[in-house]
Amino acid sequence: MQITENIVTFSFNGKSFQAIEGQTIAAALFANGVKKLGVSRKLQQPRGLFCSNGRCASCFVSGNGMDHVLSCMSLIENGMIIQSNESDPDIRRKIDGD
Amino acid sequence: METDLLIIGGGPAGLSAAYEPARHGLKVTIVDESLRLGGQLNQQSQVLDLPSGFAKQTGMKLSQFLQDRLLNYDVDLLTKCTMIGTYKDGRIGVTDGNTTFSIRSQKTIITTGAAEDSISFPGWTLPGVMTIGAAQILLNREKVLPGKKAIVLGTNNLAFEITKQLNESGVEVIAIIEKESTVDVDADNIAYLKQANIPIYVNTSITRARGPGEVEKVLIDNNGTEVAFDVDLVCIAGGLFPILEPFQVLGCELIYLSELGGWLPKYDTNFETSIPNTYVAGNAAGITAMKAIMLTGDLVGISILDSLENYNSDYVKKRKDSLWTELAKAEQPEVWSARLSLIKEFELERKYVTSNR
Repeated sequence: MQITENIVTFSFNGKSFQAIEGQTIAAALFANGVKKLGVSRKLQQPRGLFCSNGRCASCFVSGNGMDHVLSCMSLIENGMIIQSNESDPDIRRKIDGD
Repeated sequence: METDLLIIGGGPAGLSAAYEPARHGLKVTIVDESLRLGGQLNQQSQVLDLPSGFAKQTGMKLSQFLQDRLLNYDVDLLTKCTMIGTYKDGRIGVTDGNTTFSIRSQKTIITTGAAEDSISFPGWTLPGVMTIGAAQILLNREKVLPGKKAIVLGTNNLAFEITKQLNESGVEVIAIIEKESTVDVDADNIAYLKQANIPIYVNTSITRARGPGEVEKVLIDNNGTEVAFDVDLVCIAGGLFPILEPFQVLGCELIYLSELGGWLPKYDTNFETSIPNTYVAGNAAGITAMKAIMLTGDLVGISILDSLENYNSDYVKKRKDSLWTELAKAEQPEVWSARLSLIKEFELERKYVTSNR
């Protein structure tokens, strides 16, 4: 519950930012003025935080290489590498050697 | 994993429902998909009217209290865990994102709460447009200002309360937009807005939100006149509806009652759904006030004790009666009567099915 005042450093699309430990990824980005978190899959329109409760799937980002992380339901971590959600996720399949 | 009582959703209803069973020695497991228990209480800085025995306090404070009072009992708290299905033998499938496991329980209470309805208009998907509840989460829980200049779409008491919090935190709320001709909120909320110089535009809708990558401008249609506002935040207050996925996965019978927020599971006087040993409480059992959310949680907890032979005591009966009396007083008349008729109809229906078997 309590947000501690420890500062964490993370990156979004290669740019470095700081956030307060205990914040969600979406809030950490919002606090740094980043509202556009990705684009819609068909028309490539901007998307960002909408419901903040893990239901609307509008705030997907990639976190440390994992696609389609709900940024409103995941905590920011020190050193985290965040990328905007620009397309469908890569599906790990046996056929691709994954 | 085995447990006596499984609770899906650790908000005010689930945490209330857990208390009596846990206190009487049942092993309780609470599953919640969020990072922390408490549900929507965790961003409620408003002082809440609560059941007897509780002092008036903020949701944030209450969240901590409801969690702390379970600490001494056999209660397993599984946060960041989501119910994703059921097995043929009745076990519930749960995942934490990495591994999936099953939970077998004697009784299950589903307290998923409510989600916010949206109101759509061209541009509603632009970043900077969000539900009013999302704005409150950013403001109170995440300590981030959701914007500098805001417009609120839709009117209800929760929206007005959050508008007040936004205004007091330095977000300039330019206007509240309502498509109907009247506004159905408490008088003191209206008085606050007047004093804070926040205008309410009735018979008005948003025609478009615009901006390169995020919202910068909102166009409204005010009785046929187009007005433009420069804003960086649009809060949509579309009201609440019960979250149903677990009931649908389990195959619970549903019913549509607009007074209770739309579709919801049918249940009897013990809050048991059409699936035996599966119960419901809180906003998932009909959208209502916080006091009633907690009382339905208490009621289902007591009902579960009542259904187990060892606990069929005077205490249980008396507590049940007093909780029902308090619930009747706590609810809006239309919510209360819709709840009663839902229970009555479902019990009649079930009697009929049983007698024709």
